[in-house]
Amino acid sequence: MTKKAFEGIKVAEFAWVVVGPSTSRYLADHGATVVKIESHKRLDTNRINGPFVNSTPTPDGSMFFGKHNPNKYSVSIDLRNPQGKEIAWKLIKWADIVTESFSPGTMEKLGLGYEEVKKVRPDVIYLSSSMQGRGGPHSSYAGYGQNAVNFCGLTEVSGWSDRLPSPPYGACSDYISCRFAAFAILAALVHRRRTSKGQYIDQSQFESTIQFMAPPIMDYQVNNRIMTRNGNRLPIAAPHGAFKCRGNDRWVAISVMDETQWKKFCQIIGSPELATNQKFATLADRKKNEDKLEKIVTGWTLRHKTEDIEQLLQKDGIPANVVEKPSDIYNDPQIAHRKYFTPLHHPFMGNQKFEAQACFILSKTPRLLDKPSPCIGEHNEYVFKEFLKMTDDEIAEHIIDGSITTEFTEKIISTF
Amino acid sequence: MTEKQDDGLALSHLRVLDLTEDGCMLGGKLLADMGADVIKIEPPGGSASRIPPYYKDEANPEKSLFWFSYNTNKRGITLNLREKEGQDIFKKLAASADIILESLGLGFMDSVKLGYQDICKVNPDIIYASITPFGQSGPKAHYIGSDLTAVASSGFLNACGDPDRAPVWIGFPQSSQYSGCEAAIGAITAYWYRLNTGEGQFVDVSMQEANMSANMNTLQMWDVNKVEFNRVGAFSYVAATGVKQPIYFKCKDGFVMILALGGNPPYVPSSTNLVKWMDEEGMAPDWLKNLNWEVDYNAAILKQALADKVGKVIEAFTLTKTKEELYNIGSFERQILIAGVSTTQDITEDIQLAARNFWTVITHPELGEDIPYCGQFAPMTESPVQFKIRAPLIGEHNREILKTLGFTEEKITKMQEKGVI
Repeated sequence: MTKKAFEGIKVAEFAWVVVGPSTSRYLADHGATVVKIESHKRLDTNRINGPFVNSTPTPDGSMFFGKHNPNKYSVSIDLRNPQGKEIAWKLIKWADIVTESFSPGTMEKLGLGYEEVKKVRPDVIYLSSSMQGRGGPHSSYAGYGQNAVNFCGLTEVSGWSDRLPSPPYGACSDYISCRFAAFAILAALVHRRRTSKGQYIDQSQFESTIQFMAPPIMDYQVNNRIMTRNGNRLPIAAPHGAFKCRGNDRWVAISVMDETQWKKFCQIIGSPELATNQKFATLADRKKNEDKLEKIVTGWTLRHKTEDIEQLLQKDGIPANVVEKPSDIYNDPQIAHRKYFTPLHHPFMGNQKFEAQACFILSKTPRLLDKPSPCIGEHNEYVFKEFLKMTDDEIAEHIIDGSITTEFTEKIISTF
Repeated sequence: MTEKQDDGLALSHLRVLDLTEDGCMLGGKLLADMGADVIKIEPPGGSASRIPPYYKDEANPEKSLFWFSYNTNKRGITLNLREKEGQDIFKKLAASADIILESLGLGFMDSVKLGYQDICKVNPDIIYASITPFGQSGPKAHYIGSDLTAVASSGFLNACGDPDRAPVWIGFPQSSQYSGCEAAIGAITAYWYRLNTGEGQFVDVSMQEANMSANMNTLQMWDVNKVEFNRVGAFSYVAATGVKQPIYFKCKDGFVMILALGGNPPYVPSSTNLVKWMDEEGMAPDWLKNLNWEVDYNAAILKQALADKVGKVIEAFTLTKTKEELYNIGSFERQILIAGVSTTQDITEDIQLAARNFWTVITHPELGEDIPYCGQFAPMTESPVQFKIRAPLIGEHNREILKTLGFTEEKITKMQEKGVI
């Protein structure tokens, strides 16, 4: 019988926005039970950012939230209300793993910081994820991944040498950080199983993200060289870039990685003589004359469709791919083959495609999305009764005293 | 092979064979840094991933800083997997291993009779993770890839760059690093399952998918509202109106990003604080002081002309300051959502990283030097990362490891002469 890998593992997710929620997806998509603790009084930023179904901003209608939160239960409690805190403690006692991503100090002020939790649950695995970590002069730094891509050095190396940097879209530092957080949690689970000890993970998203820049950072520290931006070029390959094709803003990415590929490439583009031309014969020559080389390549790509170039070059073993637009992704047969998106019915948004977080498929216990992202507080009754064994009367009291939230207090204006 | 000694780290009871290359080597590093005994296997002569930058720019495979970065805490052997003897040695190693990681291309390991099914015959519980450009099966599975084509296939390349030029990647390759992380997470997920059931399994990582989540909300923009996102460069883009709000500004010594947006908290107070600072220095025109960030600068109704006008006056202000002034005063004294566009030098000199003792030093005896490294990816109280050894030299642990498999000195020397190791 096939079980899910993390069946029985329980997560209380106080974390919001991108890093924390993406982290717990690795567990949720492999069978863990994840309960999101939300509040109508302070909405997860995910819920107020689009895209929204019918382009109408509403907290249950965001597929930005949908991207990060399928396979989870949502409860809505007010952590500032002492009776709300009572429920939070019940969830903490229930959980194996607690995650949070508020500004450092917030959970401590609420009395829900690791030191307090540890007293009650010494074996808890508790992840705090923040921009710059606990302690140090910049610990209070507030911001999003959009800020972090800059101080993590990713923006400086993106774009063209003759221009302002062209920052990587969005918040990729968040999507880097969630991998490290997930790995740390898994290592902590294994450690707990061996030693019965829980632990505290103090993630600085800054420290996690710059791991992806380790060699250039070392190049500065050892050789004093500051890496900057240079388009799509790579020191060890040429031609190497995105080239314009026939059609409206269509591009193809091509990487000619060695001399064999270069010779084949020259034949395919109908210029076999280039392979022996002294300007382009060796990698060193091609690097020296890269501007000219790229003009020649573009002269060829402009005459063809990007899909045709991809197939033509791949047939002869040269890395090439359409620079896929979002519409291409949803038509990509490979994405479909691996079921990267899972169609699920959402009670408010209707049928939507939910994105995987784990980018691996396990042969015996494959990733599985079987619940859409939750509406806020959607599982109050289910979680409080089934997981926390609360009675109807207890739940009713919490609703009356406002510690289970049911009403929005802020108006929703989409920022993007 | 002898039992792995348990030194109390989270994964110190695990043995891993690492056949990955490029940034994928980060996966094995994560396991090694958490205590696993990771044996990096290279072809005789050394891995193709011993690439620049080099220590003191000496082009020598033993001095690759790229290699150093991703192979701390691993041991290293050389092995010719195309030779029968090399394959036999690999199988012997695999028999006592818990996890295999590889990124040598679809079908390569099968072609040398060391694929998942082959290894299962000597170790049925093995966890075997393969990283390929598109995964093990499907219409594009046979494609070969590079880091750049992987970014292109994920949709993320399309989202980055200036609209009047080619889409542009992050200049230091990222896809293979994402993939390495996925392999490590996948392997431990499978290991958890094995702890409960005794069964190993195959982990099929796709590089195309690994870079995909970075698209943030652009894929869903298409799927939900049929809005095709195209690159906008250094702006915040409002899909509903097509307006580009400037958020990158030149300053005295580089660039900063300021989330000069309106509509909702936290943007409104941040932008209000920025205007207050500008005003104190006589650089906020009256119209800007009178701007209602909640209503007038609300993305739903904002017009391009106003966005451009706001961008211009902000840049006039930022040009009077350095990155450090804007970041330190703006973020910490004035609660403005601001970030400097840091270089590797800025990161090296960052006071927060220093205060948290982020950098770690590893001794390289043959260079006669201690080299600073990126430290723990996330400090853990009970099972912290421990940096013990620098990346292996070519074939450094050949003898040590082969002897534990029962090979004699003479046999090892012979295999070396034949190019097996």
